[in-house]
Amino acid sequence: MSRPEELMMRSTSYRVTSALLIAVSLGAGIAPVSAQAPAQQTPPADAQLSALAPANLTKTRPAAPFNLTGNWFIDNSPGIQGWLFGPATIPKLKPEAQKHRDAYLQAGKEGKVYRDDIGQCWPAGVPIIMTRVWPIAMIQVPTAIYMVSEFMNSLRVVYLDGRTHTDPDLVVRTFNGESVGRWEGDTLVVETKNFTNDPHHWVDQGVPASDELRIIERIRMINNGRTLEIAMTLTDPKNWEGEWNGVRRWNRVDDHDIGEVVCLPDLNEHLQSTSSKVHIR
Amino acid sequence: MKKLLLGCSAALVLAWVAPAFAHHSPAAFDRTKEVKLVGTVKEFRWQNPHTWIEVLVPDEKGGKDVLWGVELTSPTYLIRAGWKSNTIKPGDKVTVVVNPVRSGEPAGIFRSLTLADGRVMTERAARLGTPDSK
Repeated sequence: MSRPEELMMRSTSYRVTSALLIAVSLGAGIAPVSAQAPAQQTPPADAQLSALAPANLTKTRPAAPFNLTGNWFIDNSPGIQGWLFGPATIPKLKPEAQKHRDAYLQAGKEGKVYRDDIGQCWPAGVPIIMTRVWPIAMIQVPTAIYMVSEFMNSLRVVYLDGRTHTDPDLVVRTFNGESVGRWEGDTLVVETKNFTNDPHHWVDQGVPASDELRIIERIRMINNGRTLEIAMTLTDPKNWEGEWNGVRRWNRVDDHDIGEVVCLPDLNEHLQSTSSKVHIR
Repeated sequence: MKKLLLGCSAALVLAWVAPAFAHHSPAAFDRTKEVKLVGTVKEFRWQNPHTWIEVLVPDEKGGKDVLWGVELTSPTYLIRAGWKSNTIKPGDKVTVVVNPVRSGEPAGIFRSLTLADGRVMTERAARLGTPDSK
C-alpha cells in the first residue's frame, strides 16, 4: 500500500470508528465521549499533530540555534523598570485607554490602587506574566517551547513546528494569547495574538489590552547562555497608536525549581493590601 | 495600642530594595512610614505567593486587642533569609515592624521581626539569577 493510500485508509478507518462509537453511545442512551478514543487511534491525515506527538517531534528539521530550556528570572537591576510590562515610553493612547491611564495616575496621587486585577486573582496574561517578579520554567523541544511561570503556574506555549495561528473563528481567546515562533538566524521571532477581550487583561499600569493586541518578540540568547534578551513590539489599534517597543532581559536561575503558586480567595482575605479600601475596582 | 509611628524617612525609601510585591500592586502601602507592633502571634501562614502573620496587639488604653495582618514575601526568599516554617508559631511574643497600608486599617507589609530570644529576622530581595540573589 502506498503512503497516501495508507493515510487515507487510516483516516477512513478513524471516521468509521468514530461514527460507530457515537452510534453505540447514542443507542445506549449515554453521551458520546469523544475523549474515550481507541488506544491505537491514528489522527486524520490532515490533522495538526500535537507538538508532543512522536511523529511531529522526530520530523527532520534544522537544528535550533539555541535551546533555552531552564529557569529564567526577569532582570530588574539596577532597579525596577516598571512594575508590569516595563518600557517607560507609553505610546499615544486612544481616548478610552487614556481614561484608564488617567484614572490610574490620579489614583496614585491619592494613594489608591487602580484596578489591580492580578491581585484579585485574574490572570496576568502576556506580556505581564513574563515580567512578574517570579521565575519562569522554559522547556524547549523541537516543536515548541513550554513556558510555565511560577506565578499562578501560568502556561504559555510557543509553537515551532511550522503551524500557523488558529482560524479566528475557531480559536479560544486567552490571556496569554497564541504564540507561533520561527527562527531567523540566531534569533527566535515569536508572534503572539488571539488574546482575550476581557477587561481584566492589562499591558501595563492603567493601559488595557484588547483582542487586537499583537506582540512580536525577537528572542536572543546572550552572555554564554546565561541571559535571554527579548525585544518586544506591541500593537493594539484599539488602545494606542503605532508600535510600543521595549527590551527586557532574563537571567538563568540554576538554584531554584518552580512550585505551586495559586491565588486563593482565603489568601486575599488575609492580605489587606488586596482587599483594603484603597482599591478602586 | 502598642504601636509606634516611626515617621517619614527618605533614607528608608531609598533603602527599600526588595520588590516583594509579586502578587499585587504595592500602592496600598505607605512606604514612608513604619509601625512597630508588639504583640502575640495568632497565626503564621507559610505559603505562596505570600507568607503572612496575624499579630494580636494589646490596646494601651485597655480596649480590645487589635488584630494586625502582616504580609511577607514568598517562602522562596524567606528561606534564603534564614526563615523556617516554624520560625514563629501561635502564642509567640514578637515585635514586628511594618509599612502600614494607607487606609489606616491594621495591616502592613513586613520589614522586620524580633523574636522573644532577641533574634531579628528580615526578608531578602525577591530576586534570582544575579550574584546578589544567592
